[in-house]
This record gives sequence, structure tokens and C-alpha cells, in this order.
Amino acid sequence: MKRFTCSGCSLLCDDIIVQSDGLFISEVMGACLKGKERFDQVSAKNRITSPLIRKDGELKEVSWDEATKKAIEIIKNSSIPLLYGFSNVSCEAQDVGIKLAQKINGFIDSNASICQGKILNKAKSLGINLTTITEIINKGDLIILWGANPAETVPRLLNKVLFSRGKFRMTGREIKTLVIVDPIKTASFRVMGVRDLPLIIEPNKDIDLIRMLKEECCSVDSIPSQGVAGIDKNDLKRLLLHLTGAENGVIILGQGVIQPHPDYNLVEELLELLQMINERQEKGRISLLLMGGHFNMAGFDHVALSSFGVSGKLEFKHNQLIKTDDTLVSKIEKENFDSSIIVGTDPISHLPHSLSSKIAKKPLILIDNHHTATSHIAEVVLPTAITGIESGGLAYRLDQVPIELNKIINPSNNLPSDEELLNQLYRLINQGGSE
Amino acid sequence: MELYKFLPKTNCKKCGKPTCMAFSLDLLQGKVKVDDCPPLLEPKYKKQYDALKELLGSEEGQQKELKINIDDKLCDGCGICVTVCPVNARYCPSSLSGKAPDYPPEKHQLFQVIGGKCELLKIEYCRRLEAGGRERECRVCETYCPREAVKIEYV
Amino acid sequence: MEFLLNSMRKINNDQVKEHAFGTEQSLEERLAICFINPKDFEKLKLVSSLHLKISNKEKDVIVNVEKDDNVPEGTVVMPVSIWSNRLSVVQNNELLYKNIAVKIEATSEPIMKFKEIINELLVKK
Repeated sequence: MKRFTCSGCSLLCDDIIVQSDGLFISEVMGACLKGKERFDQVSAKNRITSPLIRKDGELKEVSWDEATKKAIEIIKNSSIPLLYGFSNVSCEAQDVGIKLAQKINGFIDSNASICQGKILNKAKSLGINLTTITEIINKGDLIILWGANPAETVPRLLNKVLFSRGKFRMTGREIKTLVIVDPIKTASFRVMGVRDLPLIIEPNKDIDLIRMLKEECCSVDSIPSQGVAGIDKNDLKRLLLHLTGAENGVIILGQGVIQPHPDYNLVEELLELLQMINERQEKGRISLLLMGGHFNMAGFDHVALSSFGVSGKLEFKHNQLIKTDDTLVSKIEKENFDSSIIVGTDPISHLPHSLSSKIAKKPLILIDNHHTATSHIAEVVLPTAITGIESGGLAYRLDQVPIELNKIINPSNNLPSDEELLNQLYRLINQGGSE
Repeated sequence: MELYKFLPKTNCKKCGKPTCMAFSLDLLQGKVKVDDCPPLLEPKYKKQYDALKELLGSEEGQQKELKINIDDKLCDGCGICVTVCPVNARYCPSSLSGKAPDYPPEKHQLFQVIGGKCELLKIEYCRRLEAGGRERECRVCETYCPREAVKIEYV
Repeated sequence: MEFLLNSMRKINNDQVKEHAFGTEQSLEERLAICFINPKDFEKLKLVSSLHLKISNKEKDVIVNVEKDDNVPEGTVVMPVSIWSNRLSVVQNNELLYKNIAVKIEATSEPIMKFKEIINELLVKK
């Protein structure tokens, strides 16, 4: 029985069984609720199957010719287009996106830049190992979730890393210790057993805990008796013993730790702590796993690295890559753009109001497969096939492992894939240039 | 230990064992029955008596039937119950990403994730019916469900 | 009252799901919502017919409120959505989605509609 890869989230589960006649999907087995929803999006109520243009404030169905013409017109009238998204598309589409950005002298960035990208670059510079899911299943003995709640965001992650029985950890759950650091008792806390260590930390006090651990790194005796950040002394002792005694520990970081603070950089200090532990520890090490949301969040960095040798954002002038200190946030905040091309994401929903209101002021081209808050303000909406179901391509899993996605059924209404659509825009702009 | 919590803990020796702890160990192994502890039959221990009966239901409550309920509204199909169920571990083939729900399901398999929700295929091979001794107390599927969707009941 | 706002992804209050499958009504039911500790619920003298007005220096928003034992006192949890992001902050070129200082009060005013937010964004064009 052929198994497919699910594109519901960044875990890219590769064991999904899909029953289909090539046109419709009748049954999905093995996928979690999020994965099932991804497959259901094929026939979702708010799916977009024809291109749309805003006329008199309302989105109207138009022909592909009219829609792409309008899109090209917006792009041509723009001197600094902003290209953003690219986490819900294949690496091939990301590659064309970068090519397009170069052609139209744009600024391009992915969702990872406001999510996990920052940690990744810092970890690389400190030389901290990134680990893979398979490695945790087979060898892991300590799993720390810090500001991450996989039970509600990447549902099968705990199933795989904590409960699966691996090659060198035959008993699975019993031999792996779970530590969760979070100010809120999230759903992930409910999988804890007696040997695990739930740490409910006071909000904004993570830094105190990290600094204490850094100071006391190898001396259990000098832990303050009143505890730190709402965590009592005995729990701190256990945490230290786990951190310094793990053979193959992994720390899974979520959105919770990448919140900015005016006085310090939490991620940086946390990674320094890991580096310190790894240096002093002789028999083992602690490595890193970054928990992202969109299925190909990790991919953009790899594509940007392979095509232009930089990770993350790229800015072009005169069709050349230029060095820039701007980030996606600063670009939008300073309104240093005059149109935006949003691919497979919903910035109007997920960015702070002060930024989304600035995006809403400029002409917006949306490339997506269903309605979102962003489609309500877009000038042009170009629908595409759903990657991983209606079109194939490469995607990077949250542990930076590339995985091939397959086409399972034909796209509704013969929609183009993201790659094909971006390529078409690129060709149309190219032709216009030679006229 | 779970059982010991509900005993009177008076070490009255009326059951013929030296301590309540000893009694709880024998209870666990099925050597004695809840009714062998005379104080437990007194009205003031009614709550503990019922709790013990519930815990040991599979051994004593023949008239009651084992049910594993999965709340469809709560379940998010994470498949932890599929992986953690010891029956599944024994019979199903392993894959690189852990124990996968097989298709067609292995004949002993209790749980299966289908359509984004977990469903109970059959209950015959559940440890609470099949195994002996401590293993009969198994309730890992209920304990580890992050959504608290799995409930073991006797009705 | 002074509170800390924490926006997080929740599987039953998921914006991607509601935008793809829901209606405007279900969107408001599932996403224009916040969760607080039952003790805070009592302190605010809330009843089920009342809503919660959450505000900070950025904006304000009125949403439904539900009790949740897992939320610590002094914290209000919202699912990530266009509602919660009226209050999230840009700080030193980075985005602050968690532990945002907010003021909350009970109100009988209706919750903020999806259309209201969108229209506010469109007006600026």
C-alpha cells in the first residue's frame, strides 16, 4: 500500500494512506485532525477555484488573462514590491519566487523570518546541533519543550518523539523523560507521567531560570532555596540533573521563546546555556529542534542558500542581490514598499494590526487556495493547486530533512501549481520587458 | 500503589495479611479479592470500596462490560493511543517514524486513526481482558491522551 | 484590571480552519474569544451574556470570554487571529505575541465583527 506525505504541518508525516480514484479522495488514514483538514481543503467551502479581481470594492470572478494582466500591471507600477509567504508552497515554487523577486527588484521573505529563522541562524553560529526526528526516536532520552505546545500545533510530534519505540530505546515512553517549561498549563502537559517534569514558570521570568542555570551549571548545591521564577528548589535540582545527565537530549523551541524583550535576547541566552552544558558534559549532548507551523517553513532558507548563498530575506536592485539591514518587519513598518505579493499565507490575520494596516494600504496580489482575511483586502486573487495533494514538490521538514511530496489527485478546475503560476508571471514580465 | 491508596491503611490484620501493603500486593496479583478486607465492607469505606471495584473491574465485575470511549469532539487524531497501546506494540510492524497505523489493520490492533479521528476497532485483545497480573491494570491509552478524549469505563 | 495577554495556536480555535471551512459567524464564534482563569472570571463579575473588552496602547477589541482552569490568574489567552493581533505589538523590529500588557474589563457591548475589522483596514486605502 503506497503511503503519502501529509502537508498539514511542518512534521510532514510520511505514513498517510489515501484512498482515491485520481479525482476525489474518499478516505484518509493515519493523518491527524490538522492533516485531515488539509486534505479536506480540496473541496472546502471557501476554496477559490477561479481568479478574482476587486471591482467597486467587491471581488469578481474573471478570466485568467484578465487577472494576470491586472497582476502584471500592479507589479509594473511598483518600484519596491514586497514578496512574502512561501511557507505553504514547494521549494520549486520558492525558487521561482526568488527568481521573480530578482526580476522585479523586490524584497522577498518567508514566514520563517518572524518565526523560527532567527533561532536557526543563531544556533548555526554557536555550533549547536540540530537533530532529526528519527534520531530522537532511536536515541533520545530527554525531551524538553520550551514555550512549545505541540499537542495543539503539531499534533503527531509527541507521538513520534516521545511514544515511538526506537532502535536503541526499545521501551519508548518509559525511557524518555519529558520536561515542559511554559507559563500556561497547555494540552501537552497532559501526556506527562510520574517521571516527567512539568515546570510552570511565571510569565516573562524565563530569563531568570536560564541565568540561574548558567551560573549553577554543574553545582546542584547552590540552587536558591526559595526557587526561581515560581519553580521550586527540588524541581530545579531535577532539571539540572536531567540537563547535565542526558545522553541524547533534545530541546524543542516554540513561538514562546522567540518573543522580544528590550533588555535581553532570550533565545541567545538559552542557546548559550546549551552550549555551556554541551561543553562540560562528557558522555552526552543536547541538541535542538525548531517547531514551525507551515509545512515548508524550513525550506525557504535552504532554497535561498542554494541560489544566492544567504539565508532568509533577499533584496534586489538592478536585478542584483544587495546587502540589506531591513527585515520584513522594518520594511513594512517604514512603509518601504509600494505593493505586495502574498503567497500562501494570511498576513492580515497573523501580523500585528499596526503592520497589517500598512499592508492593506498598498495594492496586494494574493496567491492562495482559499479565502482568508487577506483575500478580503486583495486587489487580485490568483488561486493555485494545493501542494502535496493536487501538485507535488519538495519540502523541508521541521528538522531540516527534505521530503518529496506527491500529487494525489488532479487539481480542481485545472488550477496551476504555485510553481507554474509564478513561472507564468515571470514569463509575462519578461515578455513585457522586451517589447 | 494505586490500590494501596484506597485501603483503610490501619494494618488491622483482619484479612490475614500482616499489613495493608501486603494485602494490596496480593490484590494486584489477584490472590485475594476486595471483599476479603472486612473493614472495607463497612459503610464508612464505601467510597474506597467502590473505587477499588472500579480499578479492579476487569477481574471482579464480570457482570460489567469493558468499554473504551473515544470522544470524537476532543480527539485530534495524534495517534498516541495507537502507538502507546502495548497490544499494538507487540503485533504491528515498526516503521522509521514510529509504529504506524497499518492498513488493513493488523488483526489484534485496538485503535486506528481514520479521517483525522481515532476509532476503536475492537476490544477483544485489550490487556484489561487478555493479560494477567499487573498488566491487567493497563490504562495507558487513557493516561497519555493529551486531549483527555479516551475514557475506560465499565458499564 | 491589568492583565498579560498570551496569544497561542489552539487546535479547536484555528484560524486556517475557520477561514477555509467556516462562515463569518463561525469565525467570530471560534476566534473572537478569550480564556481566563475561573477566579478572574468571578473577580470581573462576568456572566455568560457579557463580553470582555481588552485594550492596550495599540488598539482595543471586544470578544467572548470563557473559563479555563489551565490559564493562570492574571493571564488572558487568545487564539491567534485577526482579533488577537489588534493587540500584538511591534517592538524593536520584532513581533511581540505573548505576555502583552493589556487592560481588561467586562462589557455588555457586542463583540467586534469580522467585517468591522476588515472595513477599518479598507478605509485606509
